[in-house]
Amino acid sequence: MISVSKLLCDLDAEGDGLRYDAAGESTKRQIRDEKQRRPVVVWNVTKQCNLYCDHCYAAADTEIADGELSTAEGKALLDDLADYGAPVVLFSGGEPLVRNDLEELIAYANDVGVRPVLSTNGTLITAERAESLKAAGLKYAGVSVDGLPERNDDFRGLEGAFEGAVRGIENCLDAGLKTGLRYTITERNAADLEGVVDLLTDVGVDRFCFYHLDYGGRGTEIVDADLTPADRRTAVKRVCDMTREYHDEGEEIETLLVGNYADAAYLVEYAREHVGEAQARRVYEYLRVNGGDPTGERVADVDYQGNVHLTQFWQGYSLGNVRDRPFGDIWEDESNPLLRALRNRDAHLSGKCADCRYAEVCRGASRLRALTVEDDLFAPDPQCYLEDSEIDGPTPFGAGDEPTSAD
Amino acid sequence: MGEFDHEVDAPRGATSREWEVFVREATADPLTHVGSVSAPSADVAREQAASLFGRTAVALWLCPADETRRYQAEAATLGAGAAGEDATMSVAEMQSETLRGEDG
Ligand code: SF4
Repeated sequence: MISVSKLLCDLDAEGDGLRYDAAGESTKRQIRDEKQRRPVVVWNVTKQCNLYCDHCYAAADTEIADGELSTAEGKALLDDLADYGAPVVLFSGGEPLVRNDLEELIAYANDVGVRPVLSTNGTLITAERAESLKAAGLKYAGVSVDGLPERNDDFRGLEGAFEGAVRGIENCLDAGLKTGLRYTITERNAADLEGVVDLLTDVGVDRFCFYHLDYGGRGTEIVDADLTPADRRTAVKRVCDMTREYHDEGEEIETLLVGNYADAAYLVEYAREHVGEAQARRVYEYLRVNGGDPTGERVADVDYQGNVHLTQFWQGYSLGNVRDRPFGDIWEDESNPLLRALRNRDAHLSGKCADCRYAEVCRGASRLRALTVEDDLFAPDPQCYLEDSEIDGPTPFGAGDEPTSAD
Repeated sequence: MGEFDHEVDAPRGATSREWEVFVREATADPLTHVGSVSAPSADVAREQAASLFGRTAVALWLCPADETRRYQAEAATLGAGAAGEDATMSVAEMQSETLRGEDG
């Protein structure tokens, strides 16, 4: 997760502590501490969903699936996560609101000290449900909208889904819940991006997360519908430009890019060109401490059956199951050579990533996309859109230079 | 040592068959369980496991998860059993609750 608004406009936003340490204090020790950080855990509480989206990574279905963790098992899992020190649990699905015990689980997470946040399509959030989510202690709701009404409804397989999601968002805001947008950028909806932000800013949303498509679940079927590198670059530039324009007008929206750490490299290049060398250096230092792609390190996923995955998108491979072993034991078990290699990926990255000057802030971006497209775990991410001239050359600003606080 | 009479019999996959994967990193090393892959057939499972572990493995074993009996010395942390009947919405309930923006 890369906060564009923070990096380009210096917005202080809740939750930034998870992504960056304070500016200018990027000592080696902090980087090491950062790497030992416990993961944010996505928990797909159900596979069931009331919609049928083209790009669903969980390949969700309208029918209840076998082996869903029960309420009691879910609470035991949350105890596990609390014991291990996971800072955040992201309730996801399927559509998590189809679970009638969602509020009970959210309240439990809150009680044991794991910050509960939610990812939802929004269309089941009635005013009552928004109130009960807030009362349970939910800290944040991310609602998925993937285009202006016509495009969104087509994508989500339900006419009226856009309006339904907006109703859900309004209900959340009315209940006093911090609410943001989740937008997965594809070739089909890239053109709607600014229109959706304009529309939802009017509704009162001030946080916008833009996801690059990962190639898991039903997403693999639409690899072809993904953006070309040139179009991706244009879309990311638009997010950067738009963020600065909003801030220039005094509207402090928070914008984030998720799922492609080539964005980190691009952000430094963008900062250099548009906001100056000193800011670019700060951006680079932030992102270096942030540590690049978090797969298998700072994010984890537990599916509805308790299988542990390297990210929520990587459902085709599981490290183990929380019904067999506590989450922390599975996550720490580096007798698994894949986990070991991913955590030491800098030594294995090949092709242009091996020599990329931005490797420290990107780390090769998505290993899942490399695997899906190139059948090579350590090949460059096919979504990388940086120019050769940008990634060639020495590490920017000198490797390991101690920046001064004036930076 | 326990009797290993606690069976964890919950399913490990739903979209397609799940395969437990075991690898040996060197001929002198023990065979290690390294998780599971989802695949419709043994051949596809082999391809997937090879793309994840082929770099380091000298041997790769696959076992269908639904043919694997998992026993534990002590009752599993999470207990057994799946979600109850009323833990999630029925399809009818889900459809009637879905906001479509039609009423105000
Ligand atoms: S070349 Fe590789 S490491 Fe460099 S920005 Fe692209 S994906 Fe990231």
